Parts: sequence; C-alpha cells; structure tokens
Amino acid sequence: MPVFALVDCNNFYASCEKLFDPKLVHTPVVVLSNNDGCVVARSAEVKALGIPMGVPWFQLKEAAKQHGIVAFSSNYALYADMSNRVVEVLAGFTPNLEVYSIDESFLDFSGFEHLGYAAYGSTIRQRVQDWLGLAVCVGIGPTKTLSKLANHCAKKNHAGKDGVCDFTTMSPEVLTALFGKIEVGEVWGVGRKISARLQSMGINTVRDLRDAKAETIRAQFSVVVKRTVRELRGVSCLALDEVVPDKQQIMSSRSFGSRVYALQELEEAVASYMSRAAEKLRGQESVAGAVSVSIRTSPFNPDEPQYQRSVTVPLPEPTADTRQLVRWAIRILRRIYRPGYAYQKAGVMLSEIVPRHLRQASLFAQPEREGRSDGVMQVMDSINQRWGRGVLRVAAEGMDKSWQMKRGNLSPRYSTEWAALPVVLAR
Amino acid sequence: MLEAAPSLGVPGIFVPLLDAPRLALPLDGMKVSAGFPSPAGDYEDKRLDINTYLVRNPVSTFFFPVQGDSMEGAEIFDGDILVVDKSVRARHGHIVIAFVNGERLVKRLFRRVGRVALVAENPSYPPLEIQEGMEMAVWGVVVGKFKRLSY
Repeated sequence: MPVFALVDCNNFYASCEKLFDPKLVHTPVVVLSNNDGCVVARSAEVKALGIPMGVPWFQLKEAAKQHGIVAFSSNYALYADMSNRVVEVLAGFTPNLEVYSIDESFLDFSGFEHLGYAAYGSTIRQRVQDWLGLAVCVGIGPTKTLSKLANHCAKKNHAGKDGVCDFTTMSPEVLTALFGKIEVGEVWGVGRKISARLQSMGINTVRDLRDAKAETIRAQFSVVVKRTVRELRGVSCLALDEVVPDKQQIMSSRSFGSRVYALQELEEAVASYMSRAAEKLRGQESVAGAVSVSIRTSPFNPDEPQYQRSVTVPLPEPTADTRQLVRWAIRILRRIYRPGYAYQKAGVMLSEIVPRHLRQASLFAQPEREGRSDGVMQVMDSINQRWGRGVLRVAAEGMDKSWQMKRGNLSPRYSTEWAALPVVLAR
Repeated sequence: MLEAAPSLGVPGIFVPLLDAPRLALPLDGMKVSAGFPSPAGDYEDKRLDINTYLVRNPVSTFFFPVQGDSMEGAEIFDGDILVVDKSVRARHGHIVIAFVNGERLVKRLFRRVGRVALVAENPSYPPLEIQEGMEMAVWGVVVGKFKRLSY
C-alpha cells in the first residue's frame, strides 16, 4: 500500500520575513501580492486578529495602525531560497519527493511503516524547525488527496498532534466522524465552483463526498472529481510527479506599478516580459510556435473606459530567439493597442512549445541562420547568468522601466545577496 | 549516440539521433604519447575549496556580517562575515547569534547552574544576564568567519 506525506510550511512567506528580523518576533506580519495589492500571507498574529486572506492592503490601513501590523512586499528571492532549503532537508527523508508548490511537498512514505509514520513525520518537522527555523505541518495518508486533508487537519488542530496527523493509524469510525465535520471545499481539487455545486446536491462535508454514489458523481462532474472521490476512499489514483513536465505554455504577465497610457511604455513592458519568457523557454530546451500578447485596463475602475484585447499569432518558424519573439510581440501589441486608455496590465504567452531537437523545419527554413541564432542566445544566457539577469538585453525593453511593479516595502535578500546580509551587533 | 528511430518503428534498426546530447569525457592528465609520464600523475588532488573548509552543512548555513568590537577576544572583528550553522545545537560556551529585545547579537552563550547569560569577549562590555520574563532566542551557532581584504 502506498503512503504519502504532505509537508507544508506554516504561513511560509510571513515566516521567512520573521526568521531574519528580530523586531518581528511577536509582530503581526502580512505579505502583499505584486504591486502591494492584497494580503497573500499572514503570520499567526494576523490570523488571530481575524484578518482574512486576499484583503486589499488599502482596506487594512486602519487595522494596521491599530494593531501595528507590518506589511512586506513579496520578496521572491528570499522565499525561493528558503523553499529550496526546505526541499533539500525533506529530500533527506525519502527517495521520492514531489515539490508541489513553493511551500508544499509530497513525500513517498511507502515502506516506512517500521519507523512509525507519525513519529517519522515528527522527526521531519523537528528537523526543518531546527535547521531552518521554519514550522511545518505533516499530513499522512494512503493517497495524495488524503495526505493533503490530513495536513489540513494537522494545521487546524482537528486531529493528530503537534502538527502531525496520520490518517493511516486512525480507525474508520474516527475518520468518518472527522470527515463529517470538515467542509467539502477543503478537499484538494474541489474549488469554489465545484463545492457550490456539490452543496446544492446536499454534499456538504468531506464525508458526504466520500460516500456519494459513484454514478451521481460521474453523471454530474468531470473525471477529476470522480478520481478525488476514489482517493478519499483510500484508492490511490495519483502518483508522485517526480519530474516536472516541461511547460506547454509559458506565461509572463504583471500589473503595472501605475497606469500606463503610452504605446512606447507598453512596448517596453511587453518586450521585458517576452525576454523573461524566452529565457524560460530556452531553459527547458524548447522552441515556441505561437506568441500571444494581451493588454487590459483595470476592471476595478468601472468609471474609466474599459478595453481589453488578446491576440495569438502562429510563427512561421518555431523559435526561442529573444530578438525574434520580441519583434513578434511588439508587432501584435501595435495591432491591438488603442490610445486613450489607462492600461493596468500586459502579458505575453508562448505556446505550441516543442523540444528544440524535434523542431520541424518549414519549407523556407534557413538552418545556418538558426545555428547562428542559437549561438547568440547561448552567449546572452551565459552572460546574464554570470552577471545578473537583464545585464544583456534587447533595446526594446527600455532603460528606466517606469511601468515596473511597485514593491514599496521589500525586505533585504537576507540569504542570497552579499550586500543584503543581515548584520549582527557585537556590543 | 544511437537510439531506435521512432519514425521508422522497426525494431533493431538504429539510426543516429539528431541533436544527440554530448557526452564529454575528461581526458586524463597523461597523454598517450612518447616520453616519460608525469611523475605527479598519481598524486593529483582536487583543488581546495574554501566552502568545504568553512561550511559543514550548506543547507542550514547562513552568513552574517559583524558590526562592533565586543567579540574581539574571540577574534571576531568589525566587518568580519560570520558563518552560522543553524543545525548545530547551541551549548554552553558556543559563540551564537541571538535575538534579544529586537536586536540581532553575537555573543558567547553561558548556560550553567540555572543561569543563562550572553557574554561579550571584550572587558568594556558587561555580560547580559537573561532574567525571568526576558526574551532571548538563540538563532544559530557561529562556526567560522571570513573576510575579504582590500588590495
């Protein structure tokens, strides 16, 4: 029987911020999304204040003053480094591990019965705490879906103890009672829409869903939901995806720091996003056969005139050359741009992605030019790798990037940049 | 590199793979050539890496620059960068990074007979007794230091 553990960092972004800053030990801390928009992470103190996830920061200014809440912009460099360290520690505990997100990993516990799953989970939890100063919860179950649910129970203190919850050693009666108390929306893969539909059918709790008739589910929902039900019953349908499959689409989009009106600024933004996307594309040794560009005004300002447009263009020849991709993106942008609007967001997408060595040559292909292009891109990537991202870039990206995202209160890159290391006082 | 051609689909027929991954084999220091082989060939060692000297457990190691002169007795000077290993359990006598009253400090940990204190290595700084109700958290143990000189 397979056994899975889901290890999840508690309040990950907020915990990373607290880890290095001694002034924050008991301070309520939130981390904001891009452009300092909404709350995307809350420390325990903020949760205790009853402030929910996703609130726009400007709505919290009053509460922040009253409770001394400190807000940080998302410091991705810091979170990524800490996340990699957590994964490295976890990898010491199992030969098979799937990094599910920046703060969650599935671990294969199959064959570890003699160690005691819960005891092993506690060891992991203690290790991450000791070595990295981050708190994690561990959920253990015979399927990925159940391990995720067990993790939820550990975190919310519904079951298990000290941040570890092991479904495999709980009796069927106990589990049934527990599942009867958890809302169906907490199940992995059951989003808001599906849970609303389930509730309209009288399926309110995890127990209801687990015990739902297979025919009913099959008739009303996709195979995904059906699979979820099987997993809730303890039949493992999802294996660990150890190797992340290459992305079939690469997207790069962001909101602007302030509204953008001019075509030239949009062009710079689109060129920058495309450069980033092209870099990712080359990183997975692929080429793209289609380019999309989208722009839009802010849907949250209904008083402003609204406009949004997205266009996809197939390329004559699949490529990973930043210069060509940027040229195409700008060509599309000029076609969809309308003056007079306050643009809030732009994005690019690469699709029709195939591995570079499978690229199909068209009738008009010029292999010798492709070879030269590959060479130029290799040089560009290695220069940027060595001297920092964006050191060498296409001129279309512009120089001052006034449209760039706002990150008003960014903490230092405590662990990844010499100039930003945290100072200790010898006094 | 050879691989069964998927397009041919004929078992046992192998064709060279386009764009085959390169396998780079290191050439040993000794060439197959006439003349006397290098007498040092058998004694070749890897070049020394300062990382392996200073860092025992990279995953739990962080760096902290020092500001101040209170640890000079322990040869920790202003501007040194400390190597801090969080996986080492702090014991009496260790030099540690501690969070005290909103400050990040480097001190020697004193923990004996029910007394906890953070001790400086410079007579002009008195020891900091950790009293009941005071908050002190040891962040990690200092296991080394380094510094780059201007030249």
